[in-house]
Amino acid sequence: MKKHDLISMHDLTVDDIQIYLNTAARVEEIPLKDRFTLLQGKIMASLFFEASTRTRLSFEAAMYRLGGNVIGFAEQAATSISKGESFSDTIHTVENYADVIVIRHPKEGTSRHAAQISYLPVINAGDGTNQHPTQTLLDLYTIVKSFKKIEGLRIAFVGDLKYSRTVHSLLQALIKFRVNEFMLVSPDSLCLPEYLKRIETDFPVTFVETRHLEDAIPYADIIYMTRIQRERFPDQIEYEKVKDSYCLNAKMLKVAQNTLKILHPLPRVNEIAPDVDETPHAEYFQQVKNGLIMRQAILLYVFEVQL
Amino acid sequence: MSNKKIQMIPKIECGIVIDHIPAGDGIRILEILQRDPGLKNVPITFGMNYQSNKLGTKDMLKIQKEDLCERTIQHISLVSPGVTIKRIRNFEVVEKVSIQPPIDLINLLKCLNPGCISQNEPGLKTHFVLSDPENKRVTCVYCEREFFINELSPII
Ligand SMILES: [Zn+2]
Repeated sequence: MKKHDLISMHDLTVDDIQIYLNTAARVEEIPLKDRFTLLQGKIMASLFFEASTRTRLSFEAAMYRLGGNVIGFAEQAATSISKGESFSDTIHTVENYADVIVIRHPKEGTSRHAAQISYLPVINAGDGTNQHPTQTLLDLYTIVKSFKKIEGLRIAFVGDLKYSRTVHSLLQALIKFRVNEFMLVSPDSLCLPEYLKRIETDFPVTFVETRHLEDAIPYADIIYMTRIQRERFPDQIEYEKVKDSYCLNAKMLKVAQNTLKILHPLPRVNEIAPDVDETPHAEYFQQVKNGLIMRQAILLYVFEVQL
Repeated sequence: MSNKKIQMIPKIECGIVIDHIPAGDGIRILEILQRDPGLKNVPITFGMNYQSNKLGTKDMLKIQKEDLCERTIQHISLVSPGVTIKRIRNFEVVEKVSIQPPIDLINLLKCLNPGCISQNEPGLKTHFVLSDPENKRVTCVYCEREFFINELSPII
């Protein structure tokens, strides 16, 4: 039997992604009390070599919701790796205790490596600046749930478009679903890298670039906000210059389409004012909820549970 | 002139000729050969800037040894894809192949990304795939970054 790893969005076809989206929709139809037996007796190893509380809690909650159990660690300091154990030794030890391995690691490619050396299925919960496929899948699921489609939507990405792996990964996935119009809102120093705009497609893809968030509000079906991360800047003066570039508030949304949805991978700092939370446009907490659903779907797919 | 060029490179009785090397690439191939421990003390003749109908000018290498190891051939194919490797026996060409880079490059090149696991886990072999043969670009299977082949240092 082929094991189902989830390492990178680049490995997934549109059909593969659709399976995850359909499974997530199916999960939501099943009452909570009936989900508790689906992964009974299964153990998920949650190996967080770098702290990421939100992602870890979401994975662990997903496993518990399905009746499974969780072992693992939340940061490297708590492990024998800090005593010099090699990564592969850690994996070969843990695989005796669990049925699936979830890995978060600061180095790029670690989940791929783990999937190669372990007989257990591996789920990538973020490998350095490279991939975070469960985030992209939950973003896509949030979009499908809100709009019942992906193709034809107009999506504006706002903030740090240079370094945000969330943005890069979602953008590439949306193009797979034939989304062909994007608005890119960022300060000049945080523009989307050129190589991401040179994607080979059989249809034209348009990128409208602007520095002004106001341009995007009446235009977009979806505004995807990101946090501008201090740690990305080698020069802190550069960070100070752009950190408050984009602060969305409820008043600005007066000109928005009624159906506009605002997404954000969270945590937010000041990109979205609290008064936006009360508007029908706020979708970011729903996104968190969808993350839990999607991670349940991913786990069920790993274990080939038929729903 | 074209008759003279043949006289300028002594014929070998037995061994390998690397031909149709675009002028300038020869020196880089020579570097690869120098690193191959199997070629220690093996006589190698190197010629530069010969006239070529196909290439305008070309370089050429003659190695007085019957075989080249697969790794060395792969390294050569990365530096200069499309060169011809001829096997010579009794002064005759007995085999002639144009070499192309492999699709999977296992432990041939070092990843340039310091955050890549292949640079941080002892014993892990690097692995690139030839993602854009035309522009000589490869993608690291681990960190998924794309590089030009000539940006990456070879693993000897
Ligand atoms: Zn790499």
